[in-house]
Amino acid sequence: MTARRIRNAAFWSACTLAFLCVAAPALSVLISVFHQALPALGWSLLLKRTNGIGIQNAILGTLVMLLGVLILAGGVGVAAGIYLAEFATGRHERLLRFFSEILAGMPAIVIGYIGYITMVVQFHWGFSLAAAVISLSILVLPYVVKTTEVALRQVPTFLREASAGLGLDSTTTVWRILIPPALPGIVSGLIVALAISTGELAPLLFTAGFSDQNPSLALVHHQVPYLTGVIFTDLALPGARAHATSAAAGAVTLILLIILIAVGRLVSRGARRATARMTI
Amino acid sequence: MIDTPAQVESRPTAPSVPAPEVPRQPRPERHPEEGTPDPVFRVKDLSFYYGPHQALRDVSIDIGAHEITAFIGPSGCGKTTFIRCLNRMNDLIPGARVEGEIDFEGRPLYGADIRAIDIRRRIGMVFQKPNPFPKSIYDNIALTPRRNGVKKSELDGLVEESLRRASLWDEVKDKLQQSAFSLSGGQQQRLCIARAIAVRPDVILMDEPCSALDPVATFRIEELMAELKGDYTIVIVTHNMQQAARVSDRTAFFTVDVSDQGRVGVLVEIGETSNIFTSPEDQRTEDYITGRFG
Amino acid sequence: MSITTEVRPEPSVPPRSARGRVPGLSADRSVRSLLLVAALLPTAALVFLTYQMVKTAWPAVIFNGVSFFTTKTFTIGNLYATGTEVHHGYTAAKGASYGILPLVFGTLVSSFIAVTLAVPVSVGGAILLAERIPVRLQGVLGTFLELLAGIPSVVFGLWGVYTFGPVLSRTVFKWIAALHIPWFGGPAGAGQGLLTASLVLAVMIVPIIAATTRELVRSVPSISKEGAVALGLTSSETVRIVTIPFIRTGVVAASILGLARALGETIAVLIISGNFLNAFPHSIFDPFSTMASTIAAFLDSALTDSTGMAVHSLAEVGLVLLVITLVANLAGRMLTRRFSGAGLPVGRGV
Repeated sequence: MTARRIRNAAFWSACTLAFLCVAAPALSVLISVFHQALPALGWSLLLKRTNGIGIQNAILGTLVMLLGVLILAGGVGVAAGIYLAEFATGRHERLLRFFSEILAGMPAIVIGYIGYITMVVQFHWGFSLAAAVISLSILVLPYVVKTTEVALRQVPTFLREASAGLGLDSTTTVWRILIPPALPGIVSGLIVALAISTGELAPLLFTAGFSDQNPSLALVHHQVPYLTGVIFTDLALPGARAHATSAAAGAVTLILLIILIAVGRLVSRGARRATARMTI
Repeated sequence: MIDTPAQVESRPTAPSVPAPEVPRQPRPERHPEEGTPDPVFRVKDLSFYYGPHQALRDVSIDIGAHEITAFIGPSGCGKTTFIRCLNRMNDLIPGARVEGEIDFEGRPLYGADIRAIDIRRRIGMVFQKPNPFPKSIYDNIALTPRRNGVKKSELDGLVEESLRRASLWDEVKDKLQQSAFSLSGGQQQRLCIARAIAVRPDVILMDEPCSALDPVATFRIEELMAELKGDYTIVIVTHNMQQAARVSDRTAFFTVDVSDQGRVGVLVEIGETSNIFTSPEDQRTEDYITGRFG
Repeated sequence: MSITTEVRPEPSVPPRSARGRVPGLSADRSVRSLLLVAALLPTAALVFLTYQMVKTAWPAVIFNGVSFFTTKTFTIGNLYATGTEVHHGYTAAKGASYGILPLVFGTLVSSFIAVTLAVPVSVGGAILLAERIPVRLQGVLGTFLELLAGIPSVVFGLWGVYTFGPVLSRTVFKWIAALHIPWFGGPAGAGQGLLTASLVLAVMIVPIIAATTRELVRSVPSISKEGAVALGLTSSETVRIVTIPFIRTGVVAASILGLARALGETIAVLIISGNFLNAFPHSIFDPFSTMASTIAAFLDSALTDSTGMAVHSLAEVGLVLLVITLVANLAGRMLTRRFSGAGLPVGRGV
């Protein structure tokens, strides 16, 4: 009996140790990045650009890219998800879903490399907002598609039957009946897509370029500064100031991510409430 | 659920509260053996398949206007499948296939030039579980007419009229903007009936509308059916033989035919409700209503 | 169930006049075509990417032949020397040699070490989280896990190169090196190398595996657990007898997806690996390189190669990487589908 008790205690101690191994690195990353960023933290970070001692242009550039991803990947992904959940049938549905899942496994650097070879070079767009946003969008598209599809599939079938029974057309059924309850799920999928886009560097390395100027909304021929680019470039530069700027950009990226995750949490809590309301 | 013929005979007084006076259209004289004159639905040799599996075989039935037709039978006898053929709800199921003829008001229901959407506007449906939209009570009713082009100025009146017809108005008139899910199950089901009425259909199909409701709510729905009969043709699927006996004019008995080919739903007989429950022609019907089977 | 309402031009049972026109129906079809176009775009993107990859890599595939997989040296050659290398009708810079053997080795070994370390840690942590930690704390810790999954790889690189690597090389690495085990000996280095990179990769894929495992543990039917408890089993025996068999397939699937993520990881490895080319590392502390990080590291100089063969060869590296990650992803997804119909994408974290 005691042997069993000892084994039991040993097992849960091992689990606790494992849990600490999961949690400690995350804490360490947060503390380390904010600690390294300390010398650079200050309002000038937000007010000056990378040719001074700030990263204003990179923050704005990242936000502009997020907007682009929201429009492109959001629009296409949500529409594709609706099609897969509500209209596609049989083999053609399975194929479309299969290819979308394969795309999710595409390494980011491959997407960036092809983005460079085609958009930057062959199409003569140069390092540009369009090339960057399209590369990022291809990267996150499968997530938006999948979360939209899953959110719609969680809407109970009885609503589709009720709508069909009233003779409502399928467009009305989708927009008026099915989308509203699925909206929180769709939005949290979009937030995940934005979070991935905020932190990615590999697809941008050869598509966005960089600039000390604030980003314009020009789609081509204008390079775009962005946060992860600052982290990466300044990391390799000599000198304490570059090092601190790199960490500060990292800290700002983390704060952006924390905000996105918090918003996502709120939205998915709304999603759970919406589902609870529908199950009587 | 065992009914005895003795219970059924007391049918005229079955609802313990007398049904309110409703102006009714005079019903034509008819002879049971001749079927229904001027039927709304005329179904001939209907077979239904889910993919390779046959669910219904050679159902022929006429459904008369302004009366309540009840479908009864054991589980899996295809009565729900059949009622869903009547407004083409089965179109939604991939791989579903219909053979045979269904005429609706003299035209083929599955004709190449008929849109299922138009059919479903003429033939409303109420489902087993109340299925209101996750919207306000008002929007539940107003959504479909609005999409169908009813003017904004007429909407309020239409909503009130539909709720009154479903005898729900007095209970909800002060909370039209509240969520439909704030209502009780029985109220939700009456809301679904009001929602169907608001489309101004000719026929209302009810697929076990009371199976999720308590006896009091069930009674209100039955009362409501009696009131609606004057204006609509009603078809109801029910598990509850007493209910069929109480509310319907004619009753169709379906059963499962088990053979080497599998289990297929078939129509055994249809007739005046009182006849079906007192002197059924088929032994299988008698076995079922006396509780010897099913 | 999908909606497959028939759309026909002329109704022969016309709507009653009171009901008026039927708006939305003509729009119905065009809306649906628009949605179909969107649904085809992911597939189109996949086909386009694969096509471009093969097209760009093709000259290199011919030029390099089998030696691509058997040679250790990866160099774009001397761009300023006179003369060129010609194989099978394709030209490269003088002295160019494209061999990815050490890169394949570095990619596979670092990813396998990462997964081997990450799996027990994530499974143990997830079981503790799901079974032992009060529900109120679970929400907070779940958010924490989500944040860990969302930390960008470049931030992991920043952490690895300035904090994690140096600390490890001063402590744990020294202790291990002192044991003089082959492959685990030699100088512990400054913290940029195979072991550091593998550890950082492990940290990066832990949230992927842990999040899936936590969901799986939660989905174990409580009836089975109660049955085990009723037999007088201790909680750890219950986990071993009931929970582990229930979640095994799912954990394997999540691990394979984690592996795919580690194989394709670029930036963190680029920063932490030490970028050592053309030879195999002599010990686990030595610098090395992976396929993905080499693409990122070489593109700038590849562009200066006027023969273009450097760009083509990098594309070939990408193609090989693509094939390896696709195989891993497919395997993971097949298993995922077996244990759950939903099959949410868990490839890239968050």
